[in-house]
Amino acid sequence: MSAGLSALVNNPDLTLSPGDDQDTLVLSMGPQHPSTHGVLRVMLRLDGEMVLSAEPEIGFLHTGIEKQAENLFWQQAITVVDRADYLAPLSNSLCYVLAAEHLLGIDGQIPPRARVLRVMFTELTRIASHLVWLGTHCLDLGAQSIFFYAFEMRERILSIMEFVTGARMHQSWFRIGGLGIDVPKGFLERMDDFIDRFPERLADMRAIVEKNVIIVDRLVGVGKISQQEAIDWGLTGPPLRATGIAYDVRRAHPYCDYETYDFDVPTQTAGDSYARFVVRLDEMSQAWRIIKQTRDRFPGGPVVIDDRKIVPPPKTEIQHSMEALIHHFKLVSSGFNVPEGHIYQAVESPRGEMGMYVTSAGGNKPWRVRWRPTSFYHTQALKRLGPGNLIADLVAIIGSMDPVFGDVDR
Amino acid sequence: MPDAASPLGVRAPLSDVVAMLTQAAGESFIESAACDDMDEIALRPDGLLPVVTALREAGFNHLLDIGGTDHHPLSPRFEISYIFTAMPLGDQRDPHRLLNLKRMRLRVFPDDVEPVVPTMAELWPSADWPEREIFDLFGVHFAGHPDLRRLLNPDDWKGYPLRKDYPLRGLDRGFVPGGRGGAVPPVRES
Repeated sequence: MSAGLSALVNNPDLTLSPGDDQDTLVLSMGPQHPSTHGVLRVMLRLDGEMVLSAEPEIGFLHTGIEKQAENLFWQQAITVVDRADYLAPLSNSLCYVLAAEHLLGIDGQIPPRARVLRVMFTELTRIASHLVWLGTHCLDLGAQSIFFYAFEMRERILSIMEFVTGARMHQSWFRIGGLGIDVPKGFLERMDDFIDRFPERLADMRAIVEKNVIIVDRLVGVGKISQQEAIDWGLTGPPLRATGIAYDVRRAHPYCDYETYDFDVPTQTAGDSYARFVVRLDEMSQAWRIIKQTRDRFPGGPVVIDDRKIVPPPKTEIQHSMEALIHHFKLVSSGFNVPEGHIYQAVESPRGEMGMYVTSAGGNKPWRVRWRPTSFYHTQALKRLGPGNLIADLVAIIGSMDPVFGDVDR
Repeated sequence: MPDAASPLGVRAPLSDVVAMLTQAAGESFIESAACDDMDEIALRPDGLLPVVTALREAGFNHLLDIGGTDHHPLSPRFEISYIFTAMPLGDQRDPHRLLNLKRMRLRVFPDDVEPVVPTMAELWPSADWPEREIFDLFGVHFAGHPDLRRLLNPDDWKGYPLRKDYPLRGLDRGFVPGGRGGAVPPVRES
């Protein structure tokens, strides 16, 4: 038994004592509870069904990704970095790649095609991640059919991902210097099909859930947080925007030319679970708008920079050029060095501001990759959001914060 | 609270903020720098609380992140980095008012052997878990923290995994031929 758990269980104030005015019960919710969206345990102190205090316990999915990244070459670390927030792997790798490119001083040289494709695919990731949230969150609330709508659409996105990168979830497609591989023939037809199809499906989904009395009754006024408290608890992304602050890293600190795209930052002012619900629904249509603009731009040209000290030469060249073969061998066997320095790079992941504080000591491996895990702060805020609600509402609050435990525990 | 004259909520230009923080840090000040991503100040832990209080009064109200770094074998060995944003309050539904929000980084260098940094959990409730995480992974203590326990690793874990002298595969967890605790198969002599 962990020290935290035993402190709670052995506390006489917390154990069930019927007839007493201290009639409270300690309940360990999770880590296998399906509505905790992964492996979260919440230590609840209950008075009847009312939550008096909620203490989330995390770490069940801790895999030491930050330690692993320190022990891989700069280019190799992308694979482990991808695996933290497993619903938005491309947002993770985008953040890491941008930080490494900045340290290398090549952030101005990334070809336009790679920049546009990066935006297109991170926005696809945003939609896919929000669809998982929509399906599972509504499942928690007792609405079943929307899950199938959401996952049907997500499946289309994942098959585009698979078609382009070869992987449905952990694509590792963004590389330092550009992209791993150009899009195959037939990609644009598939994108056009998705772009045509999505607004109608989103409208269907909104028609099912947005004004649905079950959803509204379960979410309005539940898990309300004020603007000041949202800032004090370190919230970003949809939970912060639901309190009326249009803070979006894509606008506040643009990367990948986001300042040139035309999109709105959806906000709500109520700060409750329903406000977060509507913000995410609105974000999906904004992400679709950005995808449509990337489709209209879609420039030609290379997808990686032409620097053999960072990006391996194309396979065709390796077959007849000794120099290309040496470059390839050097990059695979010892990587490349990155100049000394440190940088904080943030991107707007589907969950909010995901940042990385990357330190380079001048070697061929990152010295330190510190994550700013969005879900970590959002899960911590359950300590504030949980008390005063029914257990059933706590489930709704966890869903509305949309934590991903790969991101929380890393 | 935001100022009518400054929509970003920062009353003074950033260089003035740095100058003010330098003054607040006093003896504990080490250096300041304007990095590509944001301005930063390096200081020793005893100056942290005055600096943070001054920073908060200057409008930097959002504690974005607390991170740790182990620079072993260099000295100072440990670095605790705090990243702040100046987040405006009130009706901020127009994203164009939130362009290029000011950020600030504090880098705190505690003692190499017994690293102790004052806690910020009193000022920001969001500092609770990141400080526990740094305690868990680096063994840096946060003086005054209300509940300094391991966060990600089990409570009986040995060592601090993100320290550079902690092996990748863990303490006593490396590969042993024949299995740990089992006998190593004898080498056959011909």
